[in-house]
Amino acid sequence: MRILFFAQLKDTTGCDAAEITSPAPLNAEQLWAELLKKFPKLAAHRSSVRLATRCEYAAPDAIFANGDEIALIPPVSGG
Amino acid sequence: MEIEIQLTPDPIAEKISPPPSLGGQGAWLEFRGVVRGEENGGNISALEYEAYPEMATREIRRILESLGTKFPCLAAKVIHRVGVIPVGDTAIYVGVASPHRGEAIALLAEFMDRLKQDVPIWKRRAIVGGTDSVGRVTPCAPVQDRLPTRSGQGTARPTLKSLDEALVEIRSHCRPLPAVHTPLADAFGRVLRETVCAPSDLPDGDRSTRDGYAILQNDASGIFQVVDTLHAADWKPRRLKPGETVRVATGAALPCENLCVVMQEHVERDGDIIRITKQETALNLRKRGEDVRAGQPLVPAGVRLDAGRLALLASGGCTQPAVSPRPRIIHFTTGDEIVPPDRTPKPGQVRDSNSILVHGLLQKFPCSVVQAHLPEDFGAAKQLVLTFHRQPSTFDLLLISGGASVGDKDFTRPLLEWLGFEIIFSQVNVRPGRPLIFGVNGSQAAFGLPGNPLSHFVCFHLFVAAALAKLTGAEPEKFRRGRLAAKLNDPPCPRETLWSARREPAGLHPLAWASSGDVTCLRETNALIRVPANRGPMESGAEVDFLPTD
Repeated sequence: MRILFFAQLKDTTGCDAAEITSPAPLNAEQLWAELLKKFPKLAAHRSSVRLATRCEYAAPDAIFANGDEIALIPPVSGG
Repeated sequence: MEIEIQLTPDPIAEKISPPPSLGGQGAWLEFRGVVRGEENGGNISALEYEAYPEMATREIRRILESLGTKFPCLAAKVIHRVGVIPVGDTAIYVGVASPHRGEAIALLAEFMDRLKQDVPIWKRRAIVGGTDSVGRVTPCAPVQDRLPTRSGQGTARPTLKSLDEALVEIRSHCRPLPAVHTPLADAFGRVLRETVCAPSDLPDGDRSTRDGYAILQNDASGIFQVVDTLHAADWKPRRLKPGETVRVATGAALPCENLCVVMQEHVERDGDIIRITKQETALNLRKRGEDVRAGQPLVPAGVRLDAGRLALLASGGCTQPAVSPRPRIIHFTTGDEIVPPDRTPKPGQVRDSNSILVHGLLQKFPCSVVQAHLPEDFGAAKQLVLTFHRQPSTFDLLLISGGASVGDKDFTRPLLEWLGFEIIFSQVNVRPGRPLIFGVNGSQAAFGLPGNPLSHFVCFHLFVAAALAKLTGAEPEKFRRGRLAAKLNDPPCPRETLWSARREPAGLHPLAWASSGDVTCLRETNALIRVPANRGPMESGAEVDFLPTD
């Protein structure tokens, strides 16, 4: 799974993308567990971050698998 | 509903046409969200926006499609700018077409609310007007190294140049930016790039300069019959016969050629008959083409358009002259010893005066300027610069204040090389301002300016102005000849010196300065005297070269 970081999450993680592999598909809870293992500082943002895959916000019951591109969307501020 | 969406790093056009009539379209509603000069209570000069472009585009479309079912509109156009957006520029443009205004207004209001909730676009960073460090938000990590890379790091050019050599290098490496056609109201101060010729004679016919009576030039009749009356806007050609006259107002077009005008004060009138009481000594008219003939140049290419020249272009019907675009300039200050001018410097620190100095010096040139402070850590500085440099087209001229020497923390040269710039020279044999770096990268030019204000002032007028002149197609400012009004008491120096001076009607008064760190002479300086190397003191009355700086 390719994870994309935007805006302040780039500062938090120090990168704009990361790779996560998992032998089995993950639900949102499991994906976050993997993410926090790699980037503990993300914990502070977890409550405000939405997950998106295939350029759409993910449903709460979404399942993520290897090969997916997953974006972490912090609160937006366009316009 | 027809939907058009753009995310662009480029400025959003001043005028955007509504979609071609879709049938039934009665309203075309436009909204522009503009970057405010204030963010979180502080003044800023720009905001940097970031987007997840693929998803942002999809989200905008999804929102519009869903709102389109609720409010029946015909078309919507959304443009969101990303990257660094100066204060006053449009960040978002929305245009909505609908049969009646109500649907368009409702759709627009709800769209903006939802955009601010769901569309992955972020105000990334406030860029403070050159006087503050960018510290409020830390710079982001580079997305990836998208910079143009140039083979062969480091260059083996001879790096110390004389003043004249440096100017030749600058002029040969900078290229004029492509001209743009611009309305007259937006052309003030820009350089005209194509000569504009008179489309017709000015004036277009003989015109009276008096209120009076037009007669044939050699008509010796004592009494004249008034056959017509002409006001300023009248155009009534006719042949006058001897003994005939036409009443004319000041500015009126005369009915034919070879006439003269007798002032009304010099005639007696009785009904339609006039009698001349005093002979005229002048023709009292402006001849056709007296000001300029059709086809002759009205305003030549290469001049800066001031109010008078703009008026001339308008009188010739040229409403969209070809002019230089506004060069896009980025100015970085460097050095952790710099504090914003509203703070009290600790021992070892100094207030930043270069930001406002450069900002002020650039006022002479129509350009767009973004200013920011670079952190002293090279890695952090690179990351910040990268956010300004995502596109090869984001600036035309890069100015970096400080860091131009070769101290451990002077990273201007490595930074420029990392950005892909070729360093043309890195020292100029002048005082003040020796450690001046000049580099080019394709059509972009960059200067590393020595950090102290007097060097800035000198280097700007000598070198940056030369680059701006070349970029905009203007004639370069040349040294002029003048005389000293007082002794210039300077021991011989092996470098050419640019000596601050006050230019008065009586001549040039050299101002006192001891080192390039001196700043008080800037209070009076309006000229720089060019003192040749090894010249030594010069007496009052000596003839010198100088460059005006006002």
